[in-house]
Amino acid sequence: MEELLKGNYKVTKNIEIEAEEKSENNLTINFKKVALNSIGGSMVYVERNTLVWEGEEEAADKKNEIKSS
Amino acid sequence: MAKVLLVNPVVREEDIPRHIPYGISLLASIAMKKGHLVQIYDANAWRKGFDVLEKVFRADDWDVIAIGGLTTTYRFIKKAFQLAKKNSPKSILMAGGGFITSMPQDIMGWIPEIDLGLVGEAFVTFPEVLDKIDRQDFNFSSTTGVVFRHKNGKSYLTPAKPVIKNLDDLPYPAWDLLPLDIYFKNSANLFSEESFTAKRRMDVNGSLGCGLVCKYCWHLGTTGDMIVEEDKAGENQVVFTYGRNIRYHSPSYIVNMVKHLYEVYNIDFASFIDENLMTMDAASRGIWLNEICDLWKEKGLQPTCRQKNIPHDEDCRGVHWNGTSHAGLHKFETLKRMHEAGCTHLVYGLESFDPNILKNLGKGSTAARNKSSVGICLSSGIKPIPNIILGFPEETFDSIKNTITAMKELGITAKPHFATAYPGSEWYYSYKNSIIEQYEGDLEKYIAELGDASSISATISHHFTGVELIGLQEIIYKKDLRLLALAEKNWHRNRKQEQINYPQDSINFKSKSVRGPMEAEGRTF
Ligand code: B12
Repeated sequence: MEELLKGNYKVTKNIEIEAEEKSENNLTINFKKVALNSIGGSMVYVERNTLVWEGEEEAADKKNEIKSS
Repeated sequence: MAKVLLVNPVVREEDIPRHIPYGISLLASIAMKKGHLVQIYDANAWRKGFDVLEKVFRADDWDVIAIGGLTTTYRFIKKAFQLAKKNSPKSILMAGGGFITSMPQDIMGWIPEIDLGLVGEAFVTFPEVLDKIDRQDFNFSSTTGVVFRHKNGKSYLTPAKPVIKNLDDLPYPAWDLLPLDIYFKNSANLFSEESFTAKRRMDVNGSLGCGLVCKYCWHLGTTGDMIVEEDKAGENQVVFTYGRNIRYHSPSYIVNMVKHLYEVYNIDFASFIDENLMTMDAASRGIWLNEICDLWKEKGLQPTCRQKNIPHDEDCRGVHWNGTSHAGLHKFETLKRMHEAGCTHLVYGLESFDPNILKNLGKGSTAARNKSSVGICLSSGIKPIPNIILGFPEETFDSIKNTITAMKELGITAKPHFATAYPGSEWYYSYKNSIIEQYEGDLEKYIAELGDASSISATISHHFTGVELIGLQEIIYKKDLRLLALAEKNWHRNRKQEQINYPQDSINFKSKSVRGPMEAEGRTF
């Protein structure tokens, strides 16, 4: 196990890190870091994974279509 | 004996960790010598997030949890103290380092979880308070160099602690308590071929403070630059001054330490983190660096490429090194000896090539010296790394033109830092009102947003807004005098010419040489 704490004696409790959760997180975090550092021109970054779309704009568009036809 | 957890906060999150927490590892070393039980959690090296930090806080029954670092780590530190209180409610929560020294009363107000702050140099204060805590003596009112929280919740700042006289009294940092493999993995940097190929680079420190009085700079209250005085309301306040207690390690202490690092940790590169090697050399009347170079060779640390005068490659043995220099104080002969001994690059804070800006800066350099310094350094064989700043109070289109013209002449490409008023600096106290105004009355928000000066926080320029400075930075980067002329034409056309930032007087800064206290000789750690 990685020795997160270093000292001149042994601490009473071990620090457990959930390996899976950690690596998944790390990939997301690392990707975000690298991506954000290279923002510019066509390099952009979208932070969200999900975004609820309620279709309002489409409805509005349809109304416009009817009006204009 | 007290059970102590020292936490090094995350610094410059967008980059990989490159610098060991030198101060924290020295404090660990001192505390262990006094018999205390010490652990370091280097959050900056590990970058594991706050969940893991909570587990660290629960890993033992800590008597003391001590967290601290530079001001730009404020956001991390605030959250860390909240989590420390939640997960280890019985521990004494202690703060230290630049973030609290520069503004002890504000910090105690913003982070109510902190019980005790060590203000300024902590080499003596840290073991002293651990000793008191060990004895269950929690009354810090007669301990110098602290800000403590009274039962009534209010915080009190005590008089300044005298700094130690002789730096050689210090033990070596507790390197074994740091995750060195992480730092070694990040050894390479882009300043010189030798540092680019470094595989086991380590920070070393030869001195504390700097004799100069640059208005953007600050010396952490560890340089004789800090006293404590009562304000009108009768409350103690930190006051920063032009006073200096110059201290540097002896050449033999430094070289023996590097030799030890070479033998035990197999280092191939030493980065001097000193604020300015040349000001220390000047204080020693030009002896210090020459002696360091001679000893470097004598002790077998001179890299093979420099011994044999051949190009550097990956098979090179010995220890290369780098540091910081000053355009008005460096000497060609010394630079040459430094190169011979293995010095690869030196950071020069040239800041600007405008005579008026340089005159007001307190740095003691001129445009002519700044220009000649690049050539002098290059001809010694050492790479100069010039730093440029944009957005000085006095910045004008003419000053920028002077800087671009010189950069073209010297072949420098740089994206300048923005002039930033970090707490503790003369600029901070001069422009505090203006900063608060720019942050809509919320000073804590300003502190929490401070990071590298490569992005805009609050501006202190009398003439340019943040938006304008961002454009001007790009123009300097491109060294584009046509765009600059165009920007100037439009600026005059579109704007009422009124000053946007104004300096003020402050009780926290004296532009005088009032020295902070220093101990007499003879301290043992
Ligand atoms: C190495 C270094 C860095 C490293 C990080 C170091 C680290 N691991 O924390 C890097 C390169 C990342 C860095 C970056 C910056 N730095 Co810097 N850095 C330094 C430097 C050169 C050395 C620090 C050091 O180790 N000193 C030696 C040790 C012995 O001193 P110390 O750390 O202060 O520790 C003593 C006390 O302060 C105290 N103490 C310190 N920490 C703690 C913690 C606890 C718990 C306790 C009890 C006590 C305590 O006890 C120690 C013994 O007395 C100093 C200048 C200097 N020579 O001190 C500047 C300095 C700290 N940096 C400074 C600045 C301005 C910056 C930047 C903003 C620069 C920029 N323009 O971008 C960036 C910020 C980056 C970011 N985004 O956060 C300022 C401080 C500003 C401030 N108000 O806090 C300094 C003082 C330089 C200056 N003269 O202006 N920096």
